[in-house]
Amino acid sequence: MSVPISTIVNGQSIDLAVDPRSTLVDLLREQLGLTGTHVGCRTASCGACTVVLDGNTVKSCCVLAAEADGRSVQTIEGHVDGERRARPGELDDVQEAFVQVQGMQCGFCTPGMVLSVRALLAANPDPTDQEAKAAIAGNLCRCTGYVNILRAIRRVADERAHAKESTDV
Amino acid sequence: MKHVGRSVPGRNNVISVAGAGTYVDDVRPAGRMIMAVLRSPHAHARIVRLDISAAAALPEVSLVLDGASLAADGIVVRPGGAFANFTVRQSDRVPLAVDVVRYVGEPVVAVVAVDLIAARAALELVDVEYAPLPVLADASAALTGQPLEQSWPDNVMVDYPFSKGDPDVVLAGSDRVRRGSLRCGRIAASPIEPRGIVASWDPYRETLTCWASTQSPHVLRTLLAATVGLSDSAVRVIQPQVGGAFGSKLPMFPEDVLATVASIRLGVPVAWTEQRNEYLTAAGHSRDVGCDYAVAFRPDGRITALTVDLVADLGAPTTVAGWAMCIVTAGCIPGAYQIDDVRVRMRGVVTNRGPWQAYRGFGKEVSCFVMERILDEVARATGVDRIEVRLRNFIPSSTFPYTQPCGWITDSGDYEGTLTEAAKLIDYADFERRRAEAREQGRTLGIGFAHELTPEGSSRPDSLMGGTDSATVRISPRGDVTVLTGVTSPGTGNETGIAQVVADALGCDLERVRVEQGDTASCPYGNGNYSSRSLTFGATSARLAADELRERIEAVAVSMLGTDAGRIRIEEGTVHGPHDATLTLDAVAAEIYRNPHGRHMTGLPPGLEATRSYRIPNVHHQPDVDGRYNQYPTWSFASAACVVEVDEETGVVRVEDFVLVHDSGEIVNPLLAEAQLHGAVLQGIGASLYEEISYDEDARPFAHTLREYTLPGARESLAPVIGHRSTPSPFTLDGRKGVGESGISAPAAAIASAIEDALREHDVRLSRAPFTPARVWAALNGGAA
Ligand code: FES
Ligand code: FES
Repeated sequence: MSVPISTIVNGQSIDLAVDPRSTLVDLLREQLGLTGTHVGCRTASCGACTVVLDGNTVKSCCVLAAEADGRSVQTIEGHVDGERRARPGELDDVQEAFVQVQGMQCGFCTPGMVLSVRALLAANPDPTDQEAKAAIAGNLCRCTGYVNILRAIRRVADERAHAKESTDV
Repeated sequence: MKHVGRSVPGRNNVISVAGAGTYVDDVRPAGRMIMAVLRSPHAHARIVRLDISAAAALPEVSLVLDGASLAADGIVVRPGGAFANFTVRQSDRVPLAVDVVRYVGEPVVAVVAVDLIAARAALELVDVEYAPLPVLADASAALTGQPLEQSWPDNVMVDYPFSKGDPDVVLAGSDRVRRGSLRCGRIAASPIEPRGIVASWDPYRETLTCWASTQSPHVLRTLLAATVGLSDSAVRVIQPQVGGAFGSKLPMFPEDVLATVASIRLGVPVAWTEQRNEYLTAAGHSRDVGCDYAVAFRPDGRITALTVDLVADLGAPTTVAGWAMCIVTAGCIPGAYQIDDVRVRMRGVVTNRGPWQAYRGFGKEVSCFVMERILDEVARATGVDRIEVRLRNFIPSSTFPYTQPCGWITDSGDYEGTLTEAAKLIDYADFERRRAEAREQGRTLGIGFAHELTPEGSSRPDSLMGGTDSATVRISPRGDVTVLTGVTSPGTGNETGIAQVVADALGCDLERVRVEQGDTASCPYGNGNYSSRSLTFGATSARLAADELRERIEAVAVSMLGTDAGRIRIEEGTVHGPHDATLTLDAVAAEIYRNPHGRHMTGLPPGLEATRSYRIPNVHHQPDVDGRYNQYPTWSFASAACVVEVDEETGVVRVEDFVLVHDSGEIVNPLLAEAQLHGAVLQGIGASLYEEISYDEDARPFAHTLREYTLPGARESLAPVIGHRSTPSPFTLDGRKGVGESGISAPAAAIASAIEDALREHDVRLSRAPFTPARVWAALNGGAA
């Protein structure tokens, strides 16, 4: 048994049939081959499966694939503007900062973490340490102790503020 | 410019941040089928009836395996690793339960189907009837209960006693003696990526290719091949990107064998990806150790005698590597402290809890907890300051190499150096003012200390975890450098560190060095990643190979420049000779390949490729007169200091500041080394406050998801202040030691110390980690903690 859906993934319209029992992360990974979205728990606990659904971050292990019908999904493979897939090596400033300050080790949590950090900084350009911690509280990382992830957040916030200042002047 | 010592970001960062990494669950060979495993819901039961026919009859199902069929085919995992000088009992194991299940989560049936949904549906149709058997719910039940293993006289798997001097006489003659009990809760390493394997049998070539989330591809290859009856050379194991391991992905697991057997039977690739509930119940735990101790001391806090009687709950007997952690726990007592009269005994017993598997710390964290709690008790009993009591008992820096009571040989140390610096960095001198200020705001603060010892580079006799590793350095005709290494990096960054070491050895640009790891088809034999060994063993092997090539390059360059040996230097890919004459390394490489019979190559071996295996010194496998051996070549150490706030109403503890001053000898890459320490410290804090695998009285586990097994999230995190000191090892090339396991041991003892200090007016004792709000509250209100 399967149900037809149409959805937009990383800016591209897709019509396909999904098993009504399957989840959004299965749709992305198994049917579309977008393996940058990871699975660490399937109980909405770890955040490795975080994607953006209609502008909000969700844990795609706990969203049914059928729920993507008529909505738009952005994954780590997508360009930050949501209009298309990113080209290889095309990174936004959040990803750049993760690279420079070593905001990862094994990298398994990283795609979900990047999407949560993008969402945080879009909503709150100058988060306090506590706000930053709260924003990524749903994304578990076992490697970094979060230290360099929080440094990456600070770095992007500072750089953007600096860039804004210079354009404002 | 020297590359070693520079903070170069990890080489795989861009791949990870783009989501472009290939983890094992991303490996999708054509025709791949999915395996799922039915597991025991009972801690101990007889399998009365097992009927797989309904599952096997489903059209989407290709294969159903049970224990009886595997046993009939001789699929049995045999234990390895011998210890000559004490008791270790092990048994053969079939990867699926035969007749009896011995823990909740034990594999009973494996199903291979077209996809996961179909495989799970098939598991539902497996008909099993169990008759429950009496349960050994914990270590004390095991010590008195019937043997779990038919062929054993009792439930003691490991019995490791050792002593030095005569502690009983000293204890009996001392009027200052304290006795107590301590306990470390059971925990699970919990990498965010679960375990997994894709096994692919090629029926025409009769070869097996496995992609596995493993730390040790070569070792997995040998173990797998032996178990399924293939030659090693018919098996290739590839380690894709690994999403964290921390020891927990050391080979070999039952599921590795099951997927392999299934692929061979079916002739198609078979993939198994672990689910989190399988991880938490069946992939292996650590700690769960209790002890009774007695310590005698002088009024100045100097310890004169110590006895520690430990019992470890090893869970159900298995063949995975974790049980050996209890040996290390015992061997690391008294660790950093010089005590003349000591007796230690470790009994590791099997129970009906989940089995043990290796986890960062590998037993040393329990020794650290035990020793540091005892030092605090002596400080309290004598009124000597907690820093001072440690300084008075530390092994003096002048006495290294130092033989531990168990016989292991500690290479080097300057424990006073790290501890005094930790006290400085946390501003111990000013703490009473800070405490008083907080008091005025109604907050209760305490300060605590702990010192950890991290023997590393574990080199066990008669095992595939010996004291060596290998590397090949290959320079191409255009001067490009490839390093193939037997060590692996499950996210630790050693590929970056190895490249730095090789670039320095060759005098070339870092960007010219590519490091390949984790493929048995291309990399020389190595034992992989564990015991903080990747730079001490892996980078040193690579450096030896690079040195060999460097010699050849220098000889050819000298000849090409028409000068004498000793009159050239190589820097950033350029050979500088006298009178500003220069030559690129690329040109030298080209000459070596293009003119092997040319005049510059006279008397030199052709080519630019070398493989070297480094056998680390300070490992002794020929027992000395006492039958002792040394399996740990280098010993890093660290001192921790922390400030905690305790909510006296609720027992909730929050770590406010954490300082870790570590000493791992020369640091190759400070950015990556610190990143390791950040992660280790938070794992240590997790095990101190939040994480515990607990069981009910029938040995049924409470934790099936990450909602019950609570890993620290960002809100529980803090940025530790890291201090570096360097006491080089006298034994290793470049004096290097490891860093991967440092930082995880000290937090539990330091936090306990700080909580007790915060509640000092109540004379509270914290003897049992983790210090959950309930335990702290109980301790505060007169109960047991
Ligand atoms: S896999 Fe979705 S939250 Fe863990
Ligand atoms: S980098 Fe490994 S889990 Fe975050």
